[in-house]
Amino acid sequence: MAAHATTHPTNPDESEVYFQYEDIDQQQETYIVGMWTFIVQEIMFFGPLFLIYTLFRWKFQGGFYTYSQKLDYVLGGVNTMVLLFSSFTMALAVHYAQKKQTKEQLRCLGITLACGFGFLIIKAFEYADKFTHSLFPNNSFIWPPHGYEYLGGNPEHARLFFSLYFATTGLHGLHVVVGMICIASLMILTVRKAPTITDYVPTEIVGLYWHFVDLVWIFLYPLYYLIPK
Amino acid sequence: MAHVEHHHHGHHITPISVLIRTFIILVGLMVLTIVAAKAPYWFASLEPYRGLWVVTNAIALGIATIKAVFVVSEFMGVKYATNLIKVYAIGGFVWFFLLFIMFVDYASRPWEPVKGWENVPSSAFPRNKDNDAGTPFPQYPGEAKHGKDGH
Repeated sequence: MAAHATTHPTNPDESEVYFQYEDIDQQQETYIVGMWTFIVQEIMFFGPLFLIYTLFRWKFQGGFYTYSQKLDYVLGGVNTMVLLFSSFTMALAVHYAQKKQTKEQLRCLGITLACGFGFLIIKAFEYADKFTHSLFPNNSFIWPPHGYEYLGGNPEHARLFFSLYFATTGLHGLHVVVGMICIASLMILTVRKAPTITDYVPTEIVGLYWHFVDLVWIFLYPLYYLIPK
Repeated sequence: MAHVEHHHHGHHITPISVLIRTFIILVGLMVLTIVAAKAPYWFASLEPYRGLWVVTNAIALGIATIKAVFVVSEFMGVKYATNLIKVYAIGGFVWFFLLFIMFVDYASRPWEPVKGWENVPSSAFPRNKDNDAGTPFPQYPGEAKHGKDGH
C-alpha cells in the first residue's frame, strides 16, 4: 500500500505522503489529532475560569444577578449571532477547501474574518460602557468602586463579578484576535499558493480553532448575560 | 449541492445543506435561551416563573450544551472523524468536568470543622485591611445571604 501511496485512490488531494505514514488518511488524521491536543489544553486553559465563576456564583448568586443586569444581553446576543454565523462560514470554507474551490473558500474566510472584526467592535462598545462607569479592574477600581452608586448592592461582589467578566471575556477576545491572525495568514498563503498549503488540512485546522472560540462564547453568553434572579 | 458527497475512502465532505441546517438549529437555540431566561421578566403573566434560578440555569446550560454538541459534531466534524479524534474530543470535555471535583472540598468543610478555619484574619486579604469583620466576604446591610458558607 505504502509503495504506491501517492497514486493511491484514498489520496484524492494527491498530497505528498511522508515516509512515517501508512497512507494519506493516517497522515491527515495525525494533523487533526495534533490540533485536538491543542484544543484540549485550551479547554484546560479556560476551565479554571469557569470553575472560579461557579464557586463565586454559588456563594454570591444575588450579587451576580444584580451586576449581570448591567451587561447588555442584546449586544451579547448579537455577538453570539455574529460568532455562530462566522462558524458557519468557516465550516463552508473547509467544505470549499475540500472541493478545491479556492475562490469560494477565500470568500468564506473573508466573511469569517469580517465577523471577527464585527465581534470585537461590538465588544469594544460594551467595554467602553464599563470603563465609563469605572467597572474595569484598574487603579480606579478601588474600595468602594466609583461605580458603586450606579450598581448598588455589595461593591466587593461587584469587584468579583467584573474582574471575572473582564478576565474571561478578555481571554476569549484574545483568542478571537489570534483566530483572526490565523485566518488572515491562511488567506495570504492560499492566495500566494504557498508550498505549505497542499490540501484542505490547514483550513480544517484553522477552522477547528475558530469553532473552539465560538464554543467558549456559547457558554460565556448565558453564564454572564442571562443570570436569573 | 444538496446531495451527500462522500469519497468511499478518504475524508468526509459535509454537504452545505447539513451546514445550513446546523446553523439554523444553533440560531434557534440561541433565541430559545434568551426567551427562556428573559420571558418571565417581559410578561407580567409569567411573574410566578421569576426567581426559579435553579431551573433557569439548568435550561440555559442545557441549551448551551446542545449547541456545543452541534458545533463539535457537525462544524468541527467529530461526528465524521476517526475514533482516535473522537477520544481526544471527548477526553477534553471529560477533563473539564473533573475540575469540578474541587467542590467536594467546599461542600464538605462544614461537616468536619477545624476550629478556627473560618476566622481568617482580615489582614490576609490586602484589600480588606480596613475591615474588622474578620471574614473575607463580609455581609452588607440589605444584602441577602446566599450559599451555605458561614454555617
